[in-house]
Amino acid sequence: MRSAMRVLLVAGLVLGLAVTGWAAESTLEKINRTGVITVGARTGSPPFAYINKQNEWVGFSVDLARLVHKNIEKKLNKPIKFELKESAPATRIPLLSSMAVDLISGTMTDTRPRRDSVDFSITFFVTGAQFMVKEGSPIKGIQDIAGKRVGAQQASTNERIIRERVPQAQLVLFPDQPAGFTALVQGRVDTYTNDGIQLAGLKVKAPNPAEWKIVGDFYSYEPYGMAMRKNDSDFRAVVNNALMEAIEGGEYFKLYDKWFGPKGELPYPMTDDVKKFLLYQVVPK
Amino acid sequence: MPLSGFLGIQYDFQWSVLWTGENGRWLVEGVWTTLRLSALAWIIAWLLGILSGALRTVPFAPLRVLATFYVEFFRNVPLLVWLFFWYFGAPQFFPRTVQDWFNLHGPEFWSAVVGLSVYHGARMSEVIRAGIQSIPRTLLEASVATGLSVGQAYRLIILPIALRLIVPPATNESLNLLKNSSLALTIGVAELTFMTRQIETYTAKAFEALTAGTLIYLALCLSIAAIMGQMERYFRIPGLIVRVGRAEH
Repeated sequence: MRSAMRVLLVAGLVLGLAVTGWAAESTLEKINRTGVITVGARTGSPPFAYINKQNEWVGFSVDLARLVHKNIEKKLNKPIKFELKESAPATRIPLLSSMAVDLISGTMTDTRPRRDSVDFSITFFVTGAQFMVKEGSPIKGIQDIAGKRVGAQQASTNERIIRERVPQAQLVLFPDQPAGFTALVQGRVDTYTNDGIQLAGLKVKAPNPAEWKIVGDFYSYEPYGMAMRKNDSDFRAVVNNALMEAIEGGEYFKLYDKWFGPKGELPYPMTDDVKKFLLYQVVPK
Repeated sequence: MPLSGFLGIQYDFQWSVLWTGENGRWLVEGVWTTLRLSALAWIIAWLLGILSGALRTVPFAPLRVLATFYVEFFRNVPLLVWLFFWYFGAPQFFPRTVQDWFNLHGPEFWSAVVGLSVYHGARMSEVIRAGIQSIPRTLLEASVATGLSVGQAYRLIILPIALRLIVPPATNESLNLLKNSSLALTIGVAELTFMTRQIETYTAKAFEALTAGTLIYLALCLSIAAIMGQMERYFRIPGLIVRVGRAEH
């Protein structure tokens, strides 16, 4: 027991030393002091954030984060460095809390429990969960998955809904997108479920896209928002204003067209409802 | 002092999430899966390790080559790759009907058991070989001179001594195996790390979930180390080796 106590004590000391020196300062103060804004994004979820063939970190949510960056430079009235950092679903909230990143800009769904830990910007993308199946599969939507092996991504809101609505489905959870899709390709699961936009991304990249079908109505509502540390309303206002100005001024829709338009990385036309919803989020000047 | 102050981060700790709702049950299930997975893999790894470790020292070249091939092939490829292979790749070699049957009987768990045990068997093999080779060769010669066959000499004389000698490094391997079992989450096994991430997903309380997971792993590892220490003392042969330092737990 004595050695166990010693281990804990040493571990605690090391942890304490590693992170001391952080007083509670607001995000804008931190950015002003360091001259850097660090944004957490994924490296493998095209077209939101990914490394392209030219080895550049690009994507729709990266472009939106750059708009925020511009707005912060305007607000602080000095040049600020823009840095990206990989943040997986399991690490993104700890990265925010430990001040390693200042903003998460990716495919993070705004949910009520998550709002207990972080604050969200206005919604910048709307999608919903669907199913990907092999051509000819009997699965046509959530009504058909009872007793079937359903692959899903862990740390997604989809699996929770399936657990509640179709408890007879056999959920198999994977930590990342590629593993889940490989399981579908290799026949380990009967269908793979995720947000419709993500499935569309997988389908486009599949060796033989015609083999795969995306089926079913949206069985969930997935509003994507940017996440930041809680109770930092000044920073949140800067982020929200950047997004609102982009939606109002049309820059947002240009970026949407760049990534999701007919010639974009992943054609995904915006419905009129979504467009209206985005515009209604913009509060007057 | 609240932990957030100690760590110097702006975070509101709510430890109650660990036992409210389904989270408590998930943690317990995760620990149970980790223990089952590790225990099964541990037993198979020992068997594979003893077999191949012994074969690597026998005076018959083809068996030595075979065992060397097994060890070098399996320990020199990352465990993660092996897990992917056993889950995604290996079933492809079987006909569709066998695959369908496998898919209905926990393919994630059994792929992880095979992956962990074969990988750690190769590592355990080296530990056991080291134990055997630390025994003077004259002991094998003396055993054979008394009329035992080489097989009997290994089974009755060499291995019992070697296994006692290698308890400390084998403890190391056992702890590694337990911790490596967390990699099984990549192929969808709902073990302890998986469950801590699950709780994080549902509650967005990452620090609480990860801290709980860390402390549980620490407790499991300390318990294993303590049990192995007890075994070392229980099975020691008085007078075989002069012990200056003893395992203390």
